[in-house]
This record gives sequence, structure tokens and C-alpha cells, in this order.
Amino acid sequence: MSGRAAVLLWLVIAASPVLADDVRQHGEYLFRAAGCATCHTDEKNHGVPLAGGRALKTSFGTFYTPNITPDPDTGIGRWSEADFIRALREGISPAGEHYYPAFPYTSYTRLTDTDQHAIWVYLSSRKPVQQANKPHELPWYLRSRASLGIWKKMFLSTGAFQSQPDRSAAWNRGAYLVNAVAHCCECHTPRNFLGGFKESRQFAGNSEGVEGTAVSNITPDKKTGIGKWSETDLVEYLETGATPDGDYAGDIMAEVIDNSLAQLTKEDRRAIAAYVMSLPPLENTIHKRTNKKPKPKKEEYE
Amino acid sequence: MKAVKTRCLLSIIPVITILVPLVLHAAEPEEIIKYRQNTMKAIGGHTAAAGAIVQGKVDYKNQLADHVRALQALTADIPGLFPKDSDFGDTKAKDEVWSNRAEFEKRAKSAKTNVAAFAKAVQGGNPQTIVASFKEVGESCKACHKDFRKKDD
Ligand code: HEC
Ligand code: HEC
Ligand code: HEC
Repeated sequence: MSGRAAVLLWLVIAASPVLADDVRQHGEYLFRAAGCATCHTDEKNHGVPLAGGRALKTSFGTFYTPNITPDPDTGIGRWSEADFIRALREGISPAGEHYYPAFPYTSYTRLTDTDQHAIWVYLSSRKPVQQANKPHELPWYLRSRASLGIWKKMFLSTGAFQSQPDRSAAWNRGAYLVNAVAHCCECHTPRNFLGGFKESRQFAGNSEGVEGTAVSNITPDKKTGIGKWSETDLVEYLETGATPDGDYAGDIMAEVIDNSLAQLTKEDRRAIAAYVMSLPPLENTIHKRTNKKPKPKKEEYE
Repeated sequence: MKAVKTRCLLSIIPVITILVPLVLHAAEPEEIIKYRQNTMKAIGGHTAAAGAIVQGKVDYKNQLADHVRALQALTADIPGLFPKDSDFGDTKAKDEVWSNRAEFEKRAKSAKTNVAAFAKAVQGGNPQTIVASFKEVGESCKACHKDFRKKDD
């Protein structure tokens, strides 16, 4: 396909759904793919969907996700669509405050206008649930949101995804899903001590990810990444969690697969795989840390 | 002759019953962890091999029953691979394996049940049922890893 045709096709794909019901369905699809419900539902404690309260433990402190149902008092029921779009595009609240990047707006800023609108339409159609937000537990020096302005100047570039005309439509779709929607980099790219991404190490894995998890290197490096996988292997993993050597995804990746990736269309999973396999291979061994908990005393167990 | 044999056997039984628990008690946690990881790897190997046959990637249909038998044997008692005291060291098992034991055992049981259903499907020979039941086996592996295993501790 010529570059221009690819761009045209891409524009058509990005702009096609227009009817109201279609828009909502399209929004629901994106909402799942983007994992909004995964973070904004406290599933572990049987929380109500989208009412928030899930604890996200990071090396900077513990964040509690807010209620994003359309409840006027405890949710986002008083928001306008413009408020919502500004939150996703710029990480700014209706009151003008900065959001912490634990809310992955660094990726969602890459969503197209059409897609942000669709997500809004879907979210507004949900049932309001009254549940007050829990304050985050952060060290004193991070409690002020004002300093986030500096962080954003350093690490946030806003604006929708720009497709690359010299690449195929599938590749561009994959790049969009990975970078704007499914925010793979939020977990798979290592961060510097300020919590910004190490751009040169994209997708090379993170020995200290959220919840203290080590996150795999998913660049096609033969030794330390997934260079030995075929593209079909990766498509299979994104659907079922099965690795080529018979292991099954665990931890938060199993959640991403169950809640988001397994629910995409096959074409979308193929597009993601095509894009991931085209990344530059980066050598990065994810460090194994042993569980250094002291041996428990016998009586604790009896 | 027969009487002698029986007596010999009888005299061995107490020795075995005393020795076995002794041996198990003496096992180092590191060794148990290594053993269970090797067992899990074997489970993984048979699952991947069975998957390749089920999905038609290879044509070793005659061997499918062997992998299924191995899977049935190896998943018969997964909680047994995670005794108390084997929760520290080079393991990816989360603390919840021990602190939320009931749920852990439920996941193990569901894997066992799904493997049994897969075995039945393979015996029945209906390709669609085989594919579907294999998928369920994978679901139960993922379901346990999701809550009870982290990438590295
Ligand atoms: C990785 C977890 C995570 C994911 C995924 C996520 N969010 Fe959030 N979200 C958060 C956190 C944490 C906050 C609170 C940020 C803060 O307080 O600065 C937040 C805040 C918000 C807010 C602001 C609510 C308020 O009361 O100010 C909205 C709206 C929101 N998210 C919508 C979404 C949507 C829509 C998606 C999917 C496209 C999404 N979130 C995906 C973690 C997440
Ligand atoms: C009841 C829970 C449970 C079930 C069911 C389960 N696993 Fe596991 N598995 C674990 C835990 C926990 C570990 C980590 C063990 C450790 O590191 O000590 C693990 C580890 C593994 C490993 C990595 C071994 C290594 O160290 O390299 C593989 C491969 C694996 N499992 C495959 C499977 C497959 C395939 C299935 C399904 C047929 C399955 N598991 C079902 C809990 C489970
Ligand atoms: C919420 C964090 C998170 C997100 C988002 C995420 N991953 Fe993962 N990923 C992980 C973790 C943790 C593991 C290790 C899983 C395990 O222990 O089995 C992993 C493992 C993987 C693996 C297996 C690597 C291997 O060597 O076994 C692949 C492939 C992968 N992820 C691809 C992706 C892609 C593609 C996306 C985006 C569509 C994505 N991940 C999004 C956390 C995440």
C-alpha cells in the first residue's frame, strides 16, 4: 500500500463511527482497551465498577483512584465534555489543578478527538454511584499538585497521535493502540528517579514497576526480550496469556489481558503484535530480586 | 514363602511411615521451591506441547493422550507444592498463597477440574470440544498466576 493510501485508510478508520449508538459502542470498546475500569474499580474489595477506591502502590506513594461514575456529588456528574477532554489531553482538573501521572494521561493525550468524545459518551451513559474519594497517601514533598507543573514541562508532550505515512495502516493502528490506548509503556518502560520515562529505553522493561512488580522487556531482543517469539506467538499471548514455552501470564499483565486485550478484535491484536515486533531490540535484563523476608519463626505458623 | 514375604513387608511399613515425614521435614525450602518450579515448568511444557497439537501447529495426535495424562498427574495436588515455610527465597509465589489459602486451593481445584474435562474431551475426540476445553485449561493457569504469582519478588 502506498504511504498516502495508508494515511487515508487510517483517517477513515479513526473517523468512521458517527451514529449515536455506534459512538457509545465505540466508546465502550476504547474504554475496555484503555483499562479505565481496571484502575477505577476496587475489584479486590468487591468495589462497585467505576466508583474508584483501588489502591495503586508506586515507589512514590499510594494513589487511590477516584470515582468516575456520573454521580454529581462524588463522581464526575457535574463535568462538561470539555472538562473531561482537558483531563485526558492535558492532565488538568476542572478546578485547574494538575493530575498525578498515576493517571496515565501521558498516553491518553495521544487519543484522537473522535475517540476521546466516544469515551465521554460511553462514560456519561453509566449509572451514577455515590462513593466518596479516598485521599492519596503520599510523602509531604509530593502532596502539592503545583510541583506537577514542572514535572509536566519535563515529561509531558500533549497532542493526539500522528500516524506515520511511511508505515502500513496496521502498523499505525498498532502504534496507536499501544501508545495512546492500551498504554503498554506505562508499565513496560523504565522510569527515571523523577518518574519520567527513559525515552531511549522504551519498552525495555522495568525491574520496579507498580505494586513492586518486575515488568518484562517486550522489545524483540533475542536474549533479554521477546526476540525469540514469532508474531503469531505474541498475538496468542495477547489473547490467552500463553507464552510459547507454556507459561501463562500472571499478575497485572493477566488483568490487562482479561480486561482489555482479550476483548479486542483479532485485527487489533495483530496490529499490536506487528507494531511491538517492529520496535528496536534493546538489551535489558530484568533483575530478579529474591524474597529477602527473614525466615519466619516457627510459632508464627502454628 | 508367602508368609515370610508378608512379614518382611509388614516390618518395612513402620520404617517407611517414619522415614517419609522425616525426609519431608528435612527438605530445605530452597529445594522445595526449585522442585515446584521444575514441576510447574513440566506442566508448562506439556501444556505448550498439547496446545501445539490441539491448534494444529504440529501433527503428533498420537502423543496428545500422553501429555494429557502427565497434566492430570502433575496438577493433581498443586497446593502440595506450596507447603508452609516455602514462601521466601527465589520464588515468585505471592504471600497470598499462604495468607489466602482457601482461594488458592479453589484455583488449584479449578485447574484440576478443567484438566479432567480436557482429558475427557480428548477421549471423546470431538475437535471443537477439545479446542474449547484446552482454552479453559489455559484460563485456569492464568487465573491463578494473576492473583498468586508475581513476575519476580
Ligand atoms: C493506571 C491506572 C489508571 C487508568 C488505566 C486510568 N486511570 Fe483515571 N485516574 C487514575 C488516578 C490514580 C487518578 C487520580 C489522579 C490524581 O488524583 O491526580 C485518575 C483520575 C481520573 C479522572 C479525574 C477524576 C476526578 O475526580 O478528578 C478521570 C475523569 C479519569 N481518571 C478517567 C479515566 C478514563 C476515562 C480512563 C481510561 C481512558 C482512565 N481514567 C484510566 C488512574 C487510572
Ligand atoms: C493454584 C495456582 C496455580 C495454578 C492453577 C497454576 N500455576 Fe503455574 N505457578 C503458580 C505459582 C505460584 C508459580 C510460581 C512458583 C514459584 O516461583 O515458586 C507458578 C509458576 C509457573 C511457571 C514458571 C516456573 C518457573 O519457575 O520457571 C510455569 C511455566 C507455570 N507456572 C505454568 C503453569 C501452567 C501451564 C498451568 C496450567 C496448566 C499452571 N501453571 C497452573 C501457581 C499456579
Ligand atoms: C499494568 C501494567 C502493564 C500493562 C499496561 C501492560 N503490561 Fe505487559 N506485562 C506486565 C507484567 C507485570 C508482565 C509480567 C507478567 C508475568 O509475570 O507473567 C508483563 C508481561 C508481558 C509480556 C510477556 C513477556 C515475557 O517475556 O513473558 C508481553 C509480551 C507483554 N507484557 C506485552 C504487553 C503489551 C503489548 C501491552 C500493551 C498492549 C502490555 N504488555 C501492557 C505489565 C503490564
